[in-house]
Amino acid sequence: MDVDSGPSLMAACYGAGALLSLLLARWSGRLALAVAHLAALSGAVAGVGVSLGVLLGPPGRTLTQPLPVLFPFARLSLSVDGLSAYFLLVISLVAIAAAIYGPAYLRAHSPDAGSARQAAQGLALNVFLGCMAFLCCAGDALTFLFCWEGMTLASYVLVVSDDRDGENARAGLLYMVMAHGGTALLLVAFLALTERAGAFDFAALRAAARALDPATRTTLFFLALGGFAAKAGVVPFHVWLPRAHPAAPSHVSALMSGVMLKVAIYGILRFAFDLLAPVAGPLPFSWGWTVLFVGTTSAVLGVLYALQQHDLKRLLAFHSVENIGIILIGVGLAMILWRQDGAGGALATVALTAALLHTLNHAAFKGLLFLGAGSVLCRTHVRNMEELGGLARRMPWTAGLFLLGAVAISALPPLNGFVSEWLTFQALLGSATRFHGPAGLVIVFSAAMLALTGGLAAACFVKAFGVTFLGRPRTPHAEHATEAPPSMIAGMVWLGALCVALGVAPGYAMRLLDAPTTNLLHGPGASVVVTARGPLVLSTALTSSGTNGTAISMTMVAALLIALAAIAWVLRRGWQPAKRRVAPTWTCGMRPTARFDYTATAFAKPLRLVFEALYHPRREVTRETAGTPYVFRRIHYAGEVVDLAETQIYHRVERDIAALSQAIRAKSTGRIYGYIGFVLGALFVALLLSGLGR
Amino acid sequence: MTGERPIELVLLEMILLMLLGPLATGTIQKIKARLQCRQGAGILQPYRDLTKLFRKGTVQADSASGFFRSIPVLVLAATVAAGALVPVVRAGPPAFPLGDAVMLLGLLALARFLTAVGALDAGGAFGGMGASREMTIAPLVEPVLMMVVFSTAIAAGTTELGALAAHRGTSWFLAWRAADFLGFAAMLLLLPAETGRIPVDNPDTHLELTMLHEGMLLEHSGPGLGCMVLASHTRQIVTLGLVSALFFPVGPVEGAGATGFLLGAASFASKILVLAIYLALVESSYAKLRLFRVPQYLGVGFVCALVALALRIL
Repeated sequence: MDVDSGPSLMAACYGAGALLSLLLARWSGRLALAVAHLAALSGAVAGVGVSLGVLLGPPGRTLTQPLPVLFPFARLSLSVDGLSAYFLLVISLVAIAAAIYGPAYLRAHSPDAGSARQAAQGLALNVFLGCMAFLCCAGDALTFLFCWEGMTLASYVLVVSDDRDGENARAGLLYMVMAHGGTALLLVAFLALTERAGAFDFAALRAAARALDPATRTTLFFLALGGFAAKAGVVPFHVWLPRAHPAAPSHVSALMSGVMLKVAIYGILRFAFDLLAPVAGPLPFSWGWTVLFVGTTSAVLGVLYALQQHDLKRLLAFHSVENIGIILIGVGLAMILWRQDGAGGALATVALTAALLHTLNHAAFKGLLFLGAGSVLCRTHVRNMEELGGLARRMPWTAGLFLLGAVAISALPPLNGFVSEWLTFQALLGSATRFHGPAGLVIVFSAAMLALTGGLAAACFVKAFGVTFLGRPRTPHAEHATEAPPSMIAGMVWLGALCVALGVAPGYAMRLLDAPTTNLLHGPGASVVVTARGPLVLSTALTSSGTNGTAISMTMVAALLIALAAIAWVLRRGWQPAKRRVAPTWTCGMRPTARFDYTATAFAKPLRLVFEALYHPRREVTRETAGTPYVFRRIHYAGEVVDLAETQIYHRVERDIAALSQAIRAKSTGRIYGYIGFVLGALFVALLLSGLGR
Repeated sequence: MTGERPIELVLLEMILLMLLGPLATGTIQKIKARLQCRQGAGILQPYRDLTKLFRKGTVQADSASGFFRSIPVLVLAATVAAGALVPVVRAGPPAFPLGDAVMLLGLLALARFLTAVGALDAGGAFGGMGASREMTIAPLVEPVLMMVVFSTAIAAGTTELGALAAHRGTSWFLAWRAADFLGFAAMLLLLPAETGRIPVDNPDTHLELTMLHEGMLLEHSGPGLGCMVLASHTRQIVTLGLVSALFFPVGPVEGAGATGFLLGAASFASKILVLAIYLALVESSYAKLRLFRVPQYLGVGFVCALVALALRIL
């Protein structure tokens, strides 16, 4: 089948899924869900087809299609270039896993759901996926904003669809406020451009942006960056993310964390390198450095707050903040290096490759981890890891796949997280040699923070995996857990296989990155720069002369690891393999119980004390004594770590708004004359201002 | 610049590192004993301990999961694979690229990650304590180590250790610049942390107040424990090898043939011996730091490494 008909096939699948789930839910909610997920699966497969067709097709290929005329004043169109196709691929790959995983999960997690809720979930899932897919393919501002809004609304429906205690509704409200604050900024940026262009399509916007003066260009970029940053959950706009993502059904959490945040990255790249980029010369100084700074901050703060979470899904949501930060480090570097003299071009390609590859990698492993957390959730109905434990013996597949994801996200070889972080390190190091003076120092500091982030992520996932899956079960919920259904495991296996493949043979994935990198940077593609020595070897040149390259081979290291593990396996059997017995764990002679196991709070305590300044930990211990102060009847402990952004920024703003509303309320007497007076006063001030402006 | 190292040589060096790892530990123990006016066990004692462990049977904790048995295997494999990335007898990049310093740190981190996971598996408080402390110290050590590596890598223009060593050539103290001295000072501060020795960790005790790494090994036994112990010997010599590759890549310039190999091995052994004496001296003359003092100790290393890097790029 031809690639050209792909987008319409995608639209048909997602549209059919949305409509059929509404219609079929009258007869059977289960059937509606199954059909909705099947439609989503076929839509995602079609999406993979379209994106591979563009990415592996002739270089520079752009698939352009007009859309049916909805408005007399605007021509709507789709335009799939390399960058669009790459993000479409990322979305579709995770969507496949979510569609396979979804039906069984929803059935197991909320068996008592009414058919109305199931219809809403089926509808929203298809709208959500369709909007994300077409957002990346949008060829004009109007389609972009339509899809952007559809994505937000559909994900809102999914977040609140699973409401049991009103907590989700609050999370959803916060999400809506943050998302629409971001959309407002985006609207301003787009409208400023469309006003100059007189049309909505990107080609016209691009042409109009050429004539912009530097100050306006930078203002527009920062407006767009603000809008996308609110969606991407960049610090300090991340507060909605750890609330909204855990609230959604787990396969939707995987989509929101793994994919929806990436759409914002797509937007940043589209604005910076395509729509707003100057005709010649490097991007303005402030853009790249701001993105680099914001990325570094998000990476470190995201992982630090993740460390102190005990809610499995909340922890994963904070890790999304971290990983978006890592992606933005790469994006920022690419912005700084683009069109610099010398080998800056090749280095910019390395940085952009790192960012784009991490986008795909993060989608794979974060999707896998959220699905794993979902399996735990649907079998135990507990998200607090302090109440879990011992699940590895009860859910071996889930545990193994979660461990795989944990190793990948901690940026450990031989899995995929390491590859993109390695590329980011190389890009950082290369630019440090290029920029002497304070700029170089900032970059080097950023590299140190990236190393810190990796180490802390490893600590966090030892905790997350160890406390949830290892040791003894702490509650009956965990004790009676059973393995997840096969279709859920299949969804996880798909993403796990992606993690392994992208880790062991990343060179072959570079081919997919050729189109987006040449598309944006107009320079050499990823495979020319990074896999110059064949697909098995990743290599970069740090100095501008390019003589001393650094080369690694993930494939060889993985092969070496496997060979050594095979030898060590023989060694471990020992001289007398028969002598094996099982005995209780050593607990100083006492009878071992689950209370001997280290808890998540205890595990993270040393780091909580080391980074006390960032956490402001609150700790409350009350003791009930029995007569004498030496005998305790009961000790009550409460601990909490506050999010600095929340207390320092949001709570203050909230207080100010509340104070202002109180002040206004005092003035509202309820008499109609008073209100007419206010309206007249406001009108007068407005007229006065417009007169002054003229 | 010396030529490339053929892949057989790389594998041979890796095996050599693994076989000599226990010897380095034995030497350090012996020097420590002599400094404490004791006779001490012979320097071959670690080998005897290992053979003893591999001959024993296994006792496994009843609450451990299926992962527990494969942890020692994977930890040993990751650590030994890290050994393949260190140039031993000759400088120069390997004929077929394998990994660089970032990969080496990554493989060591993988081994540490799996060790900590294994420690939580049996479900005792000691394992959790060890894992929690180890995973507190490790993220603080890693950035500093990375910055020391970067401070030399920026001068050489590569993070591949063999090429880096070749670029550095036979520069000796006299040719060093201020950045080298500061980077080396940071490395010396980090060495006890990375090899699990006083003042950061104490390899000789199983007392819960002091232990980090040993706490994580408590539930392993027999050949599994043997693998873990062998891995920690290997880890130590790999770290020492990293120091020598970064700062003293002195060896015979042209070393084809058996004599070149032997000369290279001898010079490597002498460098390891010097570092072993340093570690033994530090261990004998300092007390273990409180856990919450360690970040301050590492902070000094961080400042040294940062200044070294700043000097390099300014």
